[in-house]
Amino acid sequence: MKKIYLIIILVFFAMGVTRAQESTSLGYKPSAYYTFSWNNTFTMGDFNKWVSQPSMAGFDIGGRYLLPIKGLTAGFNISWQRVSKQYDNQTFTVPDKGIAITATNYRFTWMVPFQAVIAYHFIPNKMVSPYIGLGIGGDYMEHHLLIQEYDIYKEVWDFSLTPEVGALIKFGPFSNLGAIIAFNYKWTTNKIEIYETKSKNLQMLNLKVGLAYILR
Amino acid sequence: MYLNCKSMKTKFGFLILGLGLVFTLGCTKYPPSSDRIMEDLAVITQYDTKVNFNNYKYYSIANSVVKIDNKDTTYLTNTTAMAILDEISKNMEARGFVKAVTPVVPDFGIQVLYYQNTTVYTYSYDPWGYYPYWGYYYAYYPVYYSSYTTGLADIELVDLKVTDPTNHRLYIRWNAFIRGLLTGSHTTSELTGAVDQAFTQTPQLITTAK
Repeated sequence: MKKIYLIIILVFFAMGVTRAQESTSLGYKPSAYYTFSWNNTFTMGDFNKWVSQPSMAGFDIGGRYLLPIKGLTAGFNISWQRVSKQYDNQTFTVPDKGIAITATNYRFTWMVPFQAVIAYHFIPNKMVSPYIGLGIGGDYMEHHLLIQEYDIYKEVWDFSLTPEVGALIKFGPFSNLGAIIAFNYKWTTNKIEIYETKSKNLQMLNLKVGLAYILR
Repeated sequence: MYLNCKSMKTKFGFLILGLGLVFTLGCTKYPPSSDRIMEDLAVITQYDTKVNFNNYKYYSIANSVVKIDNKDTTYLTNTTAMAILDEISKNMEARGFVKAVTPVVPDFGIQVLYYQNTTVYTYSYDPWGYYPYWGYYYAYYPVYYSSYTTGLADIELVDLKVTDPTNHRLYIRWNAFIRGLLTGSHTTSELTGAVDQAFTQTPQLITTAK
C-alpha cells in the first residue's frame, strides 16, 4: 500500500512540475505522439488474493492524435503485462468430488490489454502537458496455476475501463522526444475460476513510465 | 526539405511503435524456468463422497510397499517404507479406526504402491533454411537426450466390507497420491509429513463406530 501512496505522490509531483513550467512553450504545435512505456502493475481486491505481489513485468505502447478541439486527443494503447507469485504448500479443494491438492504452486496471470483512449491535455503546447484520460477496450488474460510440471489454466476475454492521469514531458522546445508518466486504475469484467478460487471484476493499478516521440 | 524531415520523423515514430510491438509480443508469457517448481512434493487426495465412514472401524495394512518401475515389481521393506506404513497406521488410529487382529475381519485394507517412472526424451533445434541454388534444405543438428524421473506413492483404502462379487470389483473409498520429481532426494520426514498432510486435507476420513 505504501508503494501505491508513493506512486500517487509521484504523479502529483509531476503535476507540480507542470505548473512550475507552464510559462515554457513548445516551439511547434504537436499533432500526434507515440509512447513506449514500462508498465508496473499493482493488483487489487480479488485479483490481489490471486497474486498479491506487484509486478514490474510489463510494457505498453500507445498512440495519441490531436483532435480539432483544443487539448483533446484520441488514440490507442496495447500492452503486455504479467503478475506472478509462488505460494508454498497451499491446499486447493474440489468439495463435490472429494478432491484436495496440497502443493507449492506458482500462479501467474498474463494480460494483453488493448484499448481505445480519449484524453484531455490541459496545456498541450507547453513543455509539460498534464492530462486526464479514459481507456475503453478489452483484455485477453490467461490465469495459470502451475503445480510441478502441470499447468492448469483458463483463458478469459473481458471488457475494461481505465481512467488515467499523467503528463507528457517534452525534452526541449524543438525536440520531438519526451517522457511520459501515467498512473491509472483499471476495472475489468475478467474473472478467475480455478478450483475454489472464484474472483470477478479484476482490478489493478498501473504506473507507466516511458518515452514519447512527438510528431509536428 | 521540410517534407523530407517530416517524413523521416514519421518513419521514426513508426519505428518506435514497431520496436514496442516487437518487445511486447516477443516477451514470453511463462515465468523463468528457474522460478518453476521442480522438486516439491504434491499431495493429492480423493475420497468417496457417498460413503459414510462411520460404518467402518477395522482396517488391515500391508507389511510392505509395492514398488513398480519401468522394469519390475518389487516389495520394499526398508526403513523408509516402514516409516510410511507406520505413519499411515498412526493417522488411522487417530481418526478412530482400529487395526484388525485375527479373528476380526477388517473393513478396510490399506496398500501402498510406489511408482517410479523415468521418461527419456530427445530434443534438437529444428531450423531450416533456403539456399537459392538447391531449394529448401534442412540443417542437421545433433539430437540431445535428457530424462526426468517421477516418483508417485499411492495410498489406497480398499473397502472389504461392501464389494461387488458379481464383477469381482473392490471399491477404493479414499486414496492419496504423493508425487514428486526425483531430481533430488526426499528425506523420510518429508515423506511422512506428506502422509500426514494427506490425512489433514481429508477431515471426512474419520469414524465414531463402536
